[in-house]
Amino acid sequence: MLDKALGDYIVEVEGISKTYPNGVVALTDISVKVRQREVLVVIGPSGAGKSTFLRCLNGLEEVDSGSIVVDGIPLDDSKDHRLQIRTEVGMVFQSFNLFPHMTVLENINLAQTLVRKKSVKEATEMSMALLEKVGMPEKAGSYPSQLSGGQQQRVAIARALAMMPKVMLFDEATSALDPEMIGEVLEVMRRLAREGMTMVVVTHEMGFAREVGDQMIFMENGSVVEEGPARLLFSSPQKERTRLFLSQIL
Amino acid sequence: MAGDFPWCGMTAQAGLLVQKRLSPFLSRSVWIDIVKFLALVAVLTWVMYRGTGRLGYHWQWYRVPQYIVEVSDGTIRPGPLIDGLMVTFQVSALGLILTFLFGLVTALLRMSNSLVGTTVARLYLEIVRSTPLLVQLFFLYFVIAPVLGIGRFTSAVLALGLFEGSYASEIFRSGIVSIHRGQWEAAYSLGLGTYHTYRYIILPQAVRRMLPPLTSQAVSLIKDSALVSTIAVYDLTMRAQVIISETFLTFEIWFTVAAMYLVITVLLSSVVNVLENRLRTAE
Repeated sequence: MLDKALGDYIVEVEGISKTYPNGVVALTDISVKVRQREVLVVIGPSGAGKSTFLRCLNGLEEVDSGSIVVDGIPLDDSKDHRLQIRTEVGMVFQSFNLFPHMTVLENINLAQTLVRKKSVKEATEMSMALLEKVGMPEKAGSYPSQLSGGQQQRVAIARALAMMPKVMLFDEATSALDPEMIGEVLEVMRRLAREGMTMVVVTHEMGFAREVGDQMIFMENGSVVEEGPARLLFSSPQKERTRLFLSQIL
Repeated sequence: MAGDFPWCGMTAQAGLLVQKRLSPFLSRSVWIDIVKFLALVAVLTWVMYRGTGRLGYHWQWYRVPQYIVEVSDGTIRPGPLIDGLMVTFQVSALGLILTFLFGLVTALLRMSNSLVGTTVARLYLEIVRSTPLLVQLFFLYFVIAPVLGIGRFTSAVLALGLFEGSYASEIFRSGIVSIHRGQWEAAYSLGLGTYHTYRYIILPQAVRRMLPPLTSQAVSLIKDSALVSTIAVYDLTMRAQVIISETFLTFEIWFTVAAMYLVITVLLSSVVNVLENRLRTAE
């Protein structure tokens, strides 16, 4: 947990549930609130529904019931609302998902010019500043296939940041990386948290979770088993299941 | 290295010497291929020659050039075969444009969420792909054309476009489906709408995968365009039939026409090859 003043609620999730068409229950009655500048860490065994929960927050998955409000905009059937929310919420994926036919610079410029309607010159200035921030301005002209996994993920973070998002979602951002590259990506995320970015982070990196997490939720089988301040959940988990999971993973 | 020249039992060093001497020209295996190919051509020519000899066919190749270029009063103008080739070009080029149009629209309809869209697309695919092109051509020309008041040339182009478009749509669809889901999600999560996602993310990647099968579809279209001669469009095949009925130069003209089709299709394939290489280096 970092020293910072938290703001108002920016993400409000109220009782969302989701069942896949094949009958598998993905989420059951989940309610979570995130304040501005807060870092919410989501942990739990694989298959717990952590990623599904995260993907619901920007409308990549639809919920069956419950409500999601981001920065005052309800995520409903309205296409405009969904686009607005996606513009305000950045997402970083486990498998990077950079656009392979574009250079690093083009990857970061694209949405700025198409969605934010910036000129290429303005977009490029922003992109170069962000590449500087993630420590790889010299790679602007490279294609994703020429970069290491860690570099690709840092570009993906820069690409999401270029939209000036109010919330950043991280979906196991370091799980597909070789061990020696995890550090560089976590360092970028750590810096973001310190600068006061609102973040929802699904991760298996418990050291990182303990260091930067403000709130934490532990999920299993599509429900929240336990939630609370991250430090408290680590030091004295109330539920037996949480204790077992943490003892196995730490 | 020792395995480099197993067929002649040479040591690697001796093999290297041979290779050095040959490398300015061609390597040994290519020469073997050329010899094999020439032998095959020789055998075929001999069989042909013997067969036509038995038929008593009287070869008159010297009469063919006048149907390709006409020289009269010192001016040179294209002969009927070249005229026909131009019509084949036009039919194929316009047919190709329609093929792309129908193919892309059908593919997008099939992948859309609209029930009407998917039903229309599937109906079109089923009907067009389960009936012969010749029947479609006749149907369009004798039934639809009088109703709509369109000519034979337009009917021909429309029939070709509709027929090849149904196959092209499957190529488009599989190309688009083959793009990883993460690409869509990344684009959506940046706030891009469906149009921008297709235009800037999905199609540029899919086109690279679609080019080889689309090329063979285009080659099919050029070959199938010969069928338009049946509704009296004066394409290359129709011109050939007319010339043969007047001159009985059956073998010579059909050989010439086959060679002309071959030239166009090979040309098309090599243009696409260049395009593909350029796309690959851009990656």
